[in-house]
Amino acid sequence: MSAALNRRPFDLGKAAYLGLNLLLLAFLLVPIAIILVFALNPTPYISFPPVGVTLHWFDKFFETGDFMRSLWLSLWIAACVLVLSVVIGGACALALARGRLPGQAFLTAFFMSPLMLPAILTGLALFQSYLLAGIGRPVWGLIMAHTLIAVPYVLRTTLAVLHNFDRRIEEAASVLGASPARVFFEVTLPLIQPGVFAGGVFAFIVSFDQFPVSLFLVVPKGETLPVVLFNYMKFDLDGAIAAASMVSILLALAVVLTLERLIGLKAYVKL
Amino acid sequence: MPSAASRRPSPIAWLIAPALLLFVLFFVLPFAIMAAMSFFSSNPIGNPHAVMTTRHYERFIVDSAGIFHDALWETLRIGLVTTVVSLLIGYPLAHWMARMQSRLGHALALMAVITPLLTGIVVRTFAWMTILQDKGVINTTLIAWGLIHKPLPLMYNEFGTVVALVHIYVPFMMLTLIGVIGRIDERLEQAARSLGAGRLRAFVEVTLPLSLPGILAGSLLVFALSISAYVTPSLMGGTAVLTLPMLIAQQVGTSFNPGFAGALGVVLLSVSLVIVIAYNRILARLAGEQGLA
Repeated sequence: MSAALNRRPFDLGKAAYLGLNLLLLAFLLVPIAIILVFALNPTPYISFPPVGVTLHWFDKFFETGDFMRSLWLSLWIAACVLVLSVVIGGACALALARGRLPGQAFLTAFFMSPLMLPAILTGLALFQSYLLAGIGRPVWGLIMAHTLIAVPYVLRTTLAVLHNFDRRIEEAASVLGASPARVFFEVTLPLIQPGVFAGGVFAFIVSFDQFPVSLFLVVPKGETLPVVLFNYMKFDLDGAIAAASMVSILLALAVVLTLERLIGLKAYVKL
Repeated sequence: MPSAASRRPSPIAWLIAPALLLFVLFFVLPFAIMAAMSFFSSNPIGNPHAVMTTRHYERFIVDSAGIFHDALWETLRIGLVTTVVSLLIGYPLAHWMARMQSRLGHALALMAVITPLLTGIVVRTFAWMTILQDKGVINTTLIAWGLIHKPLPLMYNEFGTVVALVHIYVPFMMLTLIGVIGRIDERLEQAARSLGAGRLRAFVEVTLPLSLPGILAGSLLVFALSISAYVTPSLMGGTAVLTLPMLIAQQVGTSFNPGFAGALGVVLLSVSLVIVIAYNRILARLAGEQGLA
């Protein structure tokens, strides 16, 4: 394009632009690569440069009761949150996009607000409410708290798909004699499915990594993985944390790849 | 203008019911309870002698030990610095990705943004601890090269806190900006170029002003998120940093004073609400511009 206009073999401005951006990209990615280095480094404490490769820390992670218990609890909660937030958020998105509701803009902002309001306050408010209601700190209370935080993500991806899709497809189906229910199940639902699914994947990750909301709502011996890691890190920085981190990063990466395969990430960014 | 018939809610509107129920029971009501508790001397259910009081707020306003005001200013200061640095890092990257020609490059760059986003906050804070601590990557490398003799104080202070917070919240800034910059018609910049503007001038006078709403929205989002952060300041700041969220957690965990924690929560919530309202106004304007396009 501009190469024709500009005959200089080396373009300093372009090179600087590219160099700066690669540097900034390194800032984003190097810390994550560093975790892998420490997860494989055999020394008993965090030290640099690494002296070798071992899988000992992964063994320690998978053999420590606290870590494993919290990993399973986190996965179980995240799975429940995925299902709940997809159902609740998906339905809510349809109502907001198609329900001709009064105060639609306000309602959308309201349902998005858990994203921006301090999560630690959501945790505190729920903690006080459960205390007041005298129900203690049940796991379902934690699941509901995570669902509340996850619904905005499902809402966001589903609304994006709903806004981008051609209403005439639905109209064509009804003109051809499909009942409203049939239009919904055979046209609308398959079309918004990628958006709902992407939101569900985000919901899973958001729940799996959720810390501030969980902080006041977990019970001793019933902590989620991020809370266990946080408490461990206050006293000890060793390779087991790095190994645990690696496990959650690999999980996140698998999720991203799934997402990319299913819908392409562009759909999510166009918001 | 929609007709009266089309403005009546359709049956689909009922699908909002489960979300509404969830939000009323687990969001609106709890926040109302938190605000109410901040006006009681102790739990009114558990303690029949509990009385209505404004003493938690007085304690915050009087601030005899000088802790609470400092925590509020520190929270806002860290939020502001984090926002500015996130913008300086996020804008060039977002511009690069929005303008990238190759599909593969775009996908890879996007993965690079979303992968950190999907790596938990606790995990990324841990990464920065291993990089910035005295025996960390940077200090051991510099000492090995003989550039310094004593480790630089990169952690357990505001500097380390901000570095980790920027890393955690830059992706939010970028996702906002990529969308906005991607929607700016590239031909506008090309027109300026063909009329004789240099590349930099075309950017400063055409693209930058058009992306201002995105800059504002992304900045408000990052600011709101960083004043709410708890994990990063408490691990990266050590004893040198005390923010409102840390103070709130302290009041619940160690002092067990939910009333005062509630009062601090109301203070933090007020600040956040102002930001959220401003953010939504800007988003509405952005959506309006899209509608006109």
